Amino acid sequence: MVPREPHTPPPVPRRRVLQMLGGAAALPAVGGLAACGGSGGGNGAEGSGKGTLTLAYLGDATQQAAFKALFAAFNKAHPDIKISATGIASGDWATFANTISTQLAGGKQYDIVDVATEGQLLMSSKNVLEPLDRYIAKDKAVVDAYYAGIDPHLKEWTKKYGSPDGRTYFIPGGYNSMVLYCNTEVFAKAGVELPDGAWTWEQFKAAGQKIKARTGAYLTALGDGAFPFGDIMPWLLTNGASTLDADWKQPTFNSPQAIEAATFVKSLLDAGLAPKLGGTFDAAAQLAKGKLATLGGGRWPTLDMRRLKMVDKVRIMSWPTKTGPGSPIGWDGWPILRASKNKAAAWTFLKWLMTKDASEFYAKVGGTNVPALTSVATSSAFLSAAPKGSELLPAAITHGTPIPSPKQGAAVQRAISAGWKSALTGLKPVKQSLDTANEQLKPLL
Amino acid sequence: MTISLTRRRTAPRPPAIQPTAGAGSRQWVGYAFLCPALLLFVLFVAGPFVAAIVLSLYRWDMLTPAQFAGVGNFTAMFGDPLLYRSLANTFVFALASLVTHLVGGLLLALGVNRLKNKVLSYFVRTSLFFPFVISWAAVALLWKYVLDPSFGLVTYYLGRLGLDTPNWFNDPSWALPSIIGIDFWHTIGFTFVIMLAGLQTVPNTLLEAARLDGANAWQTLWHVTIPMMSPTIFFAAVITFLGAFQIFDPIQIITPQGGPDNSTMSVVMYLYQKGFQSFQVGYASAVSLLVFAVMMVVTLLQFWGSRRWVHQ
Repeated sequence: MVPREPHTPPPVPRRRVLQMLGGAAALPAVGGLAACGGSGGGNGAEGSGKGTLTLAYLGDATQQAAFKALFAAFNKAHPDIKISATGIASGDWATFANTISTQLAGGKQYDIVDVATEGQLLMSSKNVLEPLDRYIAKDKAVVDAYYAGIDPHLKEWTKKYGSPDGRTYFIPGGYNSMVLYCNTEVFAKAGVELPDGAWTWEQFKAAGQKIKARTGAYLTALGDGAFPFGDIMPWLLTNGASTLDADWKQPTFNSPQAIEAATFVKSLLDAGLAPKLGGTFDAAAQLAKGKLATLGGGRWPTLDMRRLKMVDKVRIMSWPTKTGPGSPIGWDGWPILRASKNKAAAWTFLKWLMTKDASEFYAKVGGTNVPALTSVATSSAFLSAAPKGSELLPAAITHGTPIPSPKQGAAVQRAISAGWKSALTGLKPVKQSLDTANEQLKPLL
Repeated sequence: MTISLTRRRTAPRPPAIQPTAGAGSRQWVGYAFLCPALLLFVLFVAGPFVAAIVLSLYRWDMLTPAQFAGVGNFTAMFGDPLLYRSLANTFVFALASLVTHLVGGLLLALGVNRLKNKVLSYFVRTSLFFPFVISWAAVALLWKYVLDPSFGLVTYYLGRLGLDTPNWFNDPSWALPSIIGIDFWHTIGFTFVIMLAGLQTVPNTLLEAARLDGANAWQTLWHVTIPMMSPTIFFAAVITFLGAFQIFDPIQIITPQGGPDNSTMSVVMYLYQKGFQSFQVGYASAVSLLVFAVMMVVTLLQFWGSRRWVHQ
């Protein structure tokens, strides 16, 4: 009997192995995109009104702490409902909206998503949100009382920009405007007095030149245009310009007023009153070190001021103006997702958010926006442990403009940012930069 | 002797091994071992690949039902100037990466291979490979700080020398070269290790024979070392090109909008923007298939060309 040899495959040449390894490396490029499938549709259920709610919101580590406290307070008031929240540190609202859309498309289900202005039209036009009208009708007294206590603009804007088919998808929540956080020590060191009320672009620039000459500090951090709400819109709106028209149907980014605004901001950069774009300038830290005189922001820098123990050294000023006061306004919208299987509990949470107790609690624990209820926004819950001048934040809603947020928010933002950056860095002349961006915006609207 | 040889040549082959009881079960064991890899391949490579083909035939914004578009997404690519721009940027990046990595990796390997001191040799190897183990996110942020136009180390020291520095990531002439340089720093360690491994497989007998025949160092390198290393160089070339053509992470982190005047917009970044920011998933899928086709063609060309220079 012939002894049986173990079966051994023919040896694979080393070159062949290397070839196969090389070929296999080509496939993932395609797979990455197509891995996303599914849809965000599906009809949920009313549910028992108890159990766990899944919720997504935008927030970095500091903001997540405040949100967690808010959810814990809700759970204390409604022990039968627990909130399983996902904080997404996406940096800006357009990216957050894209992230959520992608997650929904991938089959992820949330009961509630905190949607800022930048994502409201996108979400409400995709049939993924539950109309809230029947819930509002059921709890009319609660909702009416809430609307009576908030600035009427919020209700009007939510309806105009967040209800493309006439149905209500969002309960408006807190909002943000843009102001300047000024380091009073830097101003004092430079011998520059902050004006009592409004100030003009020219006054602002003149103050910056003195500060630069006497202290070496930068006047302000301009950002690189990647955050239009803070980097671009305040300059446009204080000169009567905007990126889009009031209906978000036509771009107006190359209007003479917008060009004038960009030219002025470029002059700040050219004069060395702001750090060069494209860097890693940590504005809050530099403000604390006295190397920066002013920092633009809404309510959120207040948390940094507290963290840096700067609250008493900072004074909030209105944005300097050219033709008149102006500020972008962005607000939270709280919807219930159509696929939610526990809509009753989700509505309970939304109702709770409308209460004065919830609003005060969130303001106290470090909420990153202005409470929607005027009575809370003007109370000590909001104004204490905050820089002097914090009352300017809620006041700005009277002359504010909703941040333009068409459906293709991220693509629109990209075009606007690129145009602004091109203008400021001198890549192309200011007018040409904004003309180019304006042309890119047209097909996106 | 002749008879013997003839007998050997004509000797009957041993009977083929017949499957015996248990052979079937051994086959199943083999398949079982294959299953996890096969499952992962189907789930994460083959499945998505087929899905991309299907999606490319539709218009789909992720949240509303898809609409059949036929070849519309593919024809739209012909009139998309930004796609051409991103492809051109990607080719520039990939070719620059290919050349710098192959030349740099080979030179480093040759240098380290000559080190006599083992401790120094291990130290240099580790130092060169170390950046490769750092995540792209960390590398990108690190270099953003180093090249910061106001406070960066490079800006500071060049300023001390009286030299003006460009705004590396905001100047269209410098943005892509900067990314190429960062990519080189980050990934050269991988190419270096491959080259070093290949270099150490070159038989000493051949090198000694060359020296005995009077070949100088350059002639030995060119006529012995490199030909013997050609399979390794070929492997490194294929891997480097494919990796470079899919560049995304550093560009997204350092120049998130595609850089000044789209000067760093890579094709994978472009398809990401189309798919996940503009919600044109069908079009992005079509672009992804184009990327696949380009990579496949280039790789096939590399394989075809390898017949002429890769040592068998």
